[in-house]
Amino acid sequence: MDTEALLLTLRLALSTTAVLLLIAIPLAWWIASGTGLRRAFIRAVVALPLVLPPTVLGFYLLVALGPLTAPGRLLTRLLGHPVAFSFSGLLIGSLLYSLPFAVQPLVSGFAAVDIALIEASLLLGASPLRTFRSIALPLARPSLLTAAVLTFTHTVGEFGVVLMLGGNIPGATRTLSIALYDQVQDFDYAAANRTSSVLLLIALVSLLAIYLVPGTIGKRDDLV
Amino acid sequence: MSDIKSEIKSDPAPHLSFQMKHCLGAFSLDTAFELTQPWTLLFAPSGAGKTTILRAIAGLLRPHQARIVSYSSYSRISLQNGETLTAELVLTDTAAGTFVRPHQRSIRMVSQNAALFPHLSVLKNIRYSFFDRVRNPEERKQNEADLKAILALCRVEHLTAKMPPRLSGGERQRVALARSLAASSCTLLLLDEPFTGLDAALRDELIADLRVWLARRSIPVLSVTHDISEAFRLNAEVLRLDNGRITAQGPAAAVLAEERNRLLAQLRGDH
Repeated sequence: MDTEALLLTLRLALSTTAVLLLIAIPLAWWIASGTGLRRAFIRAVVALPLVLPPTVLGFYLLVALGPLTAPGRLLTRLLGHPVAFSFSGLLIGSLLYSLPFAVQPLVSGFAAVDIALIEASLLLGASPLRTFRSIALPLARPSLLTAAVLTFTHTVGEFGVVLMLGGNIPGATRTLSIALYDQVQDFDYAAANRTSSVLLLIALVSLLAIYLVPGTIGKRDDLV
Repeated sequence: MSDIKSEIKSDPAPHLSFQMKHCLGAFSLDTAFELTQPWTLLFAPSGAGKTTILRAIAGLLRPHQARIVSYSSYSRISLQNGETLTAELVLTDTAAGTFVRPHQRSIRMVSQNAALFPHLSVLKNIRYSFFDRVRNPEERKQNEADLKAILALCRVEHLTAKMPPRLSGGERQRVALARSLAASSCTLLLLDEPFTGLDAALRDELIADLRVWLARRSIPVLSVTHDISEAFRLNAEVLRLDNGRITAQGPAAAVLAEERNRLLAQLRGDH
């Protein structure tokens, strides 16, 4: 069992989930709070990773974050090493790749919050920020869990972007899915079987959380 | 407060002046009025634009063209030498580009569907905007007493531990009213048919108590109804709205006499 790859995978998935929720919550709230061309465009961009081959995304990121572009050179100077083929590079790739999996459930969750409750809160003198914190966020809590679990599992299962952007450096960019690919290339089916089992287990346990917690799917428990 | 029913004042100083033109599809609203009385009733058939007017006052709606100005109650207190201080607060003025956002208006509204926060208990709903961050124990005691009085006034003391989805329609409306009364710094209370779910005896008691409570704090009310009997019972100043226009303003007996005779004639069966 490749413990180094397992730890790296979990670290990447947890970091991606944490950072992505911070980005996705305000973004989803903005998208859900109106209509129009700007919102439609942002939604389309956010959804792109769903339909784009991961290798395309990985290739663009490789070029953009590499020494060929100004932002890439700036990032390299700031970090002291190239972003590509490093953990921070993987993180950036994962954030973009998993973006729709975090944003979509949150948009649905926020859109389902009754606008009358938001208005009631404002008319009691609560600021928009307090209204968001005290009303919208707690009522969309089930979607928050769904977004977190989907982002986590999706990052664990990521392959194409990691391969293009991270290379295959043990301890730095070699995640479980890459390790599995190597094991199969080496005809080491026993090791590949163990790696696959671990990936399957992580996915199953994470998804179980969505279905076990009341309210995430189906009826809300307080309305039964 | 011996006779709470006859409190129409002769003082013509308005606490709110309202002028708005707004189109909703084929329906157009073009109204102007001033509120001068402690309790004003907006009487109109369904779909005449009552809720639109309330939403414009509360700031939930940006009208195409409007000027809405509030004169806070303290600013109308007469000084010793007979002068009256009037400080106006422009809430909406489309010509000048002024628009005060709803949470900064100090206007409370109880909507028809109550809109209680489903994830908070009744008490937490009522305390949502209740000012209780005082350190001074004396003030704190006073605050708690105020809150108790509001719970008693709205007849919701026995409901405080319940969750909103488990309340009946009438209970929800009473909790929503308590929540609005408990919110600090209210300069105008808007009521959108808030007594429809209550039985007659309870409703009359509650309205009487509410009037006393509001009068003590000089908080004026604009309430909305399409029920003519409620208009007569309240005996407040009535604004009559028809097809998006104000057609009459005055005491209920004067403004709604014709309507009442028509309804009575209908009841007797002689058209």
